Amino acid sequence: MSGESTSDDALPMSVFERIYRSYNAAGFLPVLLTVLLVAFALFVPNFVAVQNLLNVLRSSSYLVIIAAGQMLVLIVGGFDLSQGAVVALTSVCSALVMVAFKDTFAAQPGLIILIGVLAGLGCGAIVGFVNGACVAFLRISPFMVTLGTMSIATGFALLLTSGIPVYGMPKSYVEGFGRGLWLDLPTAFYLAAAVVAAIWVMQHYTRMGRYILAIGGNIQAAIVSGVPAKTYLILSYVICSMLASVSGLAFTAQLGSGQAVIKDQLTLESIAAAVIAGVSIKGGIGRVEMVALGAILLLTLTDAMDLLRIDPRIQAIFLGIIVVLAVALDELSQRRAALV
Amino acid sequence: MSDASISGVSLAPGAEATRTRHRSAARLGFALLLPLLIIAMELTVSLIEPRVLSLRNITNVLVQSSYLLLFASAQMVVILTGGFDLSLGTAVSVISVATALVTTGLAVAGAPAWLILVAGLAVGLGVGLLVGVFNGLFVSRVGINPFVVTLGSLNICYGLATTISGGRPVFNVPDAFTRPLYDGTFIPGVPIPVALAIAVALLLYLLLDRTVFGRALYLIGNNPRAANLAGIPSKRYLFLAYVTCSLLAAFGSLMLTARTGSGEPNLGGSLMLESIAAAVIGGVSLQGGVGGIIPAVLGSIFVTMLSNAMDLLEVGGYVQQILLGCVIIAAIFLDRVRATRS
Repeated sequence: MSGESTSDDALPMSVFERIYRSYNAAGFLPVLLTVLLVAFALFVPNFVAVQNLLNVLRSSSYLVIIAAGQMLVLIVGGFDLSQGAVVALTSVCSALVMVAFKDTFAAQPGLIILIGVLAGLGCGAIVGFVNGACVAFLRISPFMVTLGTMSIATGFALLLTSGIPVYGMPKSYVEGFGRGLWLDLPTAFYLAAAVVAAIWVMQHYTRMGRYILAIGGNIQAAIVSGVPAKTYLILSYVICSMLASVSGLAFTAQLGSGQAVIKDQLTLESIAAAVIAGVSIKGGIGRVEMVALGAILLLTLTDAMDLLRIDPRIQAIFLGIIVVLAVALDELSQRRAALV
Repeated sequence: MSDASISGVSLAPGAEATRTRHRSAARLGFALLLPLLIIAMELTVSLIEPRVLSLRNITNVLVQSSYLLLFASAQMVVILTGGFDLSLGTAVSVISVATALVTTGLAVAGAPAWLILVAGLAVGLGVGLLVGVFNGLFVSRVGINPFVVTLGSLNICYGLATTISGGRPVFNVPDAFTRPLYDGTFIPGVPIPVALAIAVALLLYLLLDRTVFGRALYLIGNNPRAANLAGIPSKRYLFLAYVTCSLLAAFGSLMLTARTGSGEPNLGGSLMLESIAAAVIGGVSLQGGVGGIIPAVLGSIFVTMLSNAMDLLEVGGYVQQILLGCVIIAAIFLDRVRATRS
């Protein structure tokens, strides 16, 4: 965040200082990730196998997309607990719609997929709009709003399917998109890369990027300066939920069925990824490239623990310790920097 | 929102007094609204399903809500300081499992009844204390956001609960443990959980209203800077708030374990969100500084009665989930309206 201020330093910098400054600008996350990757490559059997790396890439892509959305909402000083529920609702709705139109448009699988995808994104847009409108207009605490919509969305997803997976999506969607590889990489990876790139551009070069930072930093000051805060608040929530939908669509395609009970840990994971990446829960701070690294870090760890045959239950303990330690380290180093 | 309370310091003392008077008026208004809502709901439902008002059902609702009351008031203590405890649900699970393992182990070894009870209580409250110390240390000393800390301890407790139990319930918790906490008689006619909940509620009332610690919690939540300036040891009190929260949750967990007669690794599944919802529906503000034992009691009874009424009306589980979500949003909205009107 302080990276740009170094440019107006006229004095020449030593190499060491330069490294130190770029470390300061980037934080310790890239370093930690590199160290872990090297360590895992050396000590964890099969970690560098192509199949394993593809798996990590695919599963972290889903989380990267969701965490990028969560970051937007965190930046405006909010929260989104409903992401996991949106993933489930999207999964169910898109699958049900595709199955419903299976016979009508049997000759055009492309059309079926399009309608299904639109239905899925529509779910995300609706939930996001409700979240955003409640936060912006009714000024209800985002925690409670999204807690409510989480319950509602999960209820609908279960109600629509009675908890039974929905099969019968077009083959090209499952085989071609969900499980397919483009240029030897999982399709979800391209999706995640596109999302991260788009949000990076949005954060750096558009009005919205500046506005949401202003809203999160100090909403009163932002409103006084003429930022249409309500519009951008709602927009952030809508984008956040729609990104959850995107991730849900990709995940459904990989699973090959629409499921109302998928990944209930997803919401907490996305918040964890964002927080590890230095996004402030209080709003106003967050960089999407770091969030992507945070998500990759979490799933790399999970994968390495899987390969080491560590019980998933014990993995949860590690995950908890890592989240707290990462943030504690960050906090302590900032405090030291403030003292210097 | 916190900006408003900070700027409130610079206001004239008179304005500040009016504001607090308004705020307490709003609180009173809300305190009256919820009991009326509860009564209206019960009367409406009884038109369709008279069983709602039967003595048996009301006792049942009271017993159910006494557990929720413990968790909601645990949550309320930390919400007062402007935080919350996401780890409450999984902490309840790990405490339940640990207690069940120890008490069943002692029962198999043929230990006397009093030892089983004491050991069970000690282990349960001890684990609760550990969780509270962990949360409290990181929140107050290291200064990490409570959301992150308790998200971490949520995962840690989940892992521990499922690991030590192997993911399966621990059955056959001995009578020596369950009788004093569930099916014995303490005061004739009053079920033990209700009696215990009332006792805890009274203690908590005294703690929050009659001690420096309790009053300080409100100030810390309302205006942390003013609390520091007033010479309140904020860090220590914040730490103690998390310890109190986890101890209350631990006691609730022991009561639940006594009722189910087994240690359940999934006992706390939905409790975290339910406890926050009950507290906030009762009128505890997530911004911190507003709340008390009465909102926690009303919120717990309301949430329990709502799901009891829906059960009796044979509303399906999925629809109940949707309705609960709507009720949460509506309740918070009402609270918001009241706060801004005044």
